Amino acid sequence: MKRQLLFPRLLLLAVFLLLEAASLYLVSRNAELQRTWMAQGGHWFMDKVWGATQSVRNYYSLAETNRQLALENFTLQEQLLHCQEQLRSQYAEDQKVDSLAGYGMIPAEVIKISRNKQHNYLILNRGYQDGIQEKSGIITHNGVVGIVDAVSEHRAFAFSFQNSDISISVRLGKEGSNGLLVWDGIHDNGAILKEIPLQNHYQAGDTVFTSGHSLMFPPDIPLGVAGKAKVVNGATHEIEVTLFQDFSSVRFVTVIHNRDMEEIEGFEL
Amino acid sequence: MKRNKFWKAYVLLLIAQLIISNYFRFTPFVMLSILPVMILCVPVRVNRFVLLLLTFASGLLIDWLSEGLLGLNALALVPVAYARNSVLRVVFGNELIARKEDFTVNSNGLASVTMAIVMVQALFLIIYIWVDSAGTRTFLFNFGQFMASLVVGVLVSLLTLNVLATETQR
Repeated sequence: MKRQLLFPRLLLLAVFLLLEAASLYLVSRNAELQRTWMAQGGHWFMDKVWGATQSVRNYYSLAETNRQLALENFTLQEQLLHCQEQLRSQYAEDQKVDSLAGYGMIPAEVIKISRNKQHNYLILNRGYQDGIQEKSGIITHNGVVGIVDAVSEHRAFAFSFQNSDISISVRLGKEGSNGLLVWDGIHDNGAILKEIPLQNHYQAGDTVFTSGHSLMFPPDIPLGVAGKAKVVNGATHEIEVTLFQDFSSVRFVTVIHNRDMEEIEGFEL
Repeated sequence: MKRNKFWKAYVLLLIAQLIISNYFRFTPFVMLSILPVMILCVPVRVNRFVLLLLTFASGLLIDWLSEGLLGLNALALVPVAYARNSVLRVVFGNELIARKEDFTVNSNGLASVTMAIVMVQALFLIIYIWVDSAGTRTFLFNFGQFMASLVVGVLVSLLTLNVLATETQR
């Protein structure tokens, strides 16, 4: 019985809505004031209802947005590196000095990372089939993340910078002295800059950059800011560094490989 | 025969509404309309789809031939037609609808009939005043206009009802 009544009721509702819509159309068509008012009502509805659903949709599409941003970031980093390389080549040509070797870059996603050990590691979603090689550096726009240690077909195992065995060759300030940067073993964003000669002056707040001497990382990647210093063994400074990189939120990274590494290492043998 | 008399009265009241809309504008606070009570009095046996279309056409006719805004009366009146049976059911009970009987003051009482008129008149006025003001008038003005129009409208509607009821129930 109820089903039999449902269809006529729905049809009646449809006719009612149709007539109301026709009336609204006539009103809006014949009066500027009402048209503006209805348009405002429409805008309000769109803002509140569609805006709210858009917010929900945006929330659920954040993962895809992040991926796109990471890809965009990677492209920009690559372009920046090429620009820097060109500038250096130009400078080297002017100075009659060989230019620095080029680096290959591959975007990757961190699928596992450890942070609560002294020897932390991370696993990336790319392997040798994607072009990842051992002894490649891992960076983000905030600095160095780690070094690739082993590679499988589709995965790469890497030592995190938060690993007491890892040290990176760095430079204090644009033209400052070189030293080694190691994780302080305690803080997420804490590091120690070692082996800075006493005679070299520095100021708290100086930026720490990669020096480019390690073959794994190109020079001039900003890593962090220098803080307090202390004298060690009466011979060198040890400087506290606050890293730009937040290891708790690292997800999208760039694997960077020195194309001339084998050739340069050949000289060292 | 009775039906014909009702429809004749209906047409005459439509003409009366046209005259009211054009000439009876004494104060901006009162918007007098007998259309809601005319829709309320349409015999229950009339098909509801027909009632909706009739209402739309009546509203549109008044809008078209008077100084009103085309579509405004139709917009406010169609919900009255849609809610008409629900109003009758709430005020007079299910029996009236089931038997397809028409209400009268004599058989249903003045209070119930007045209540039904107040309900349809209020529904009509709320939509009419809201859309007519289009957000340009204050709530206080709209409320004042609503109350004044409701009181005057109900009183005039009771007289109109008498005309329609006489035609249908005599």
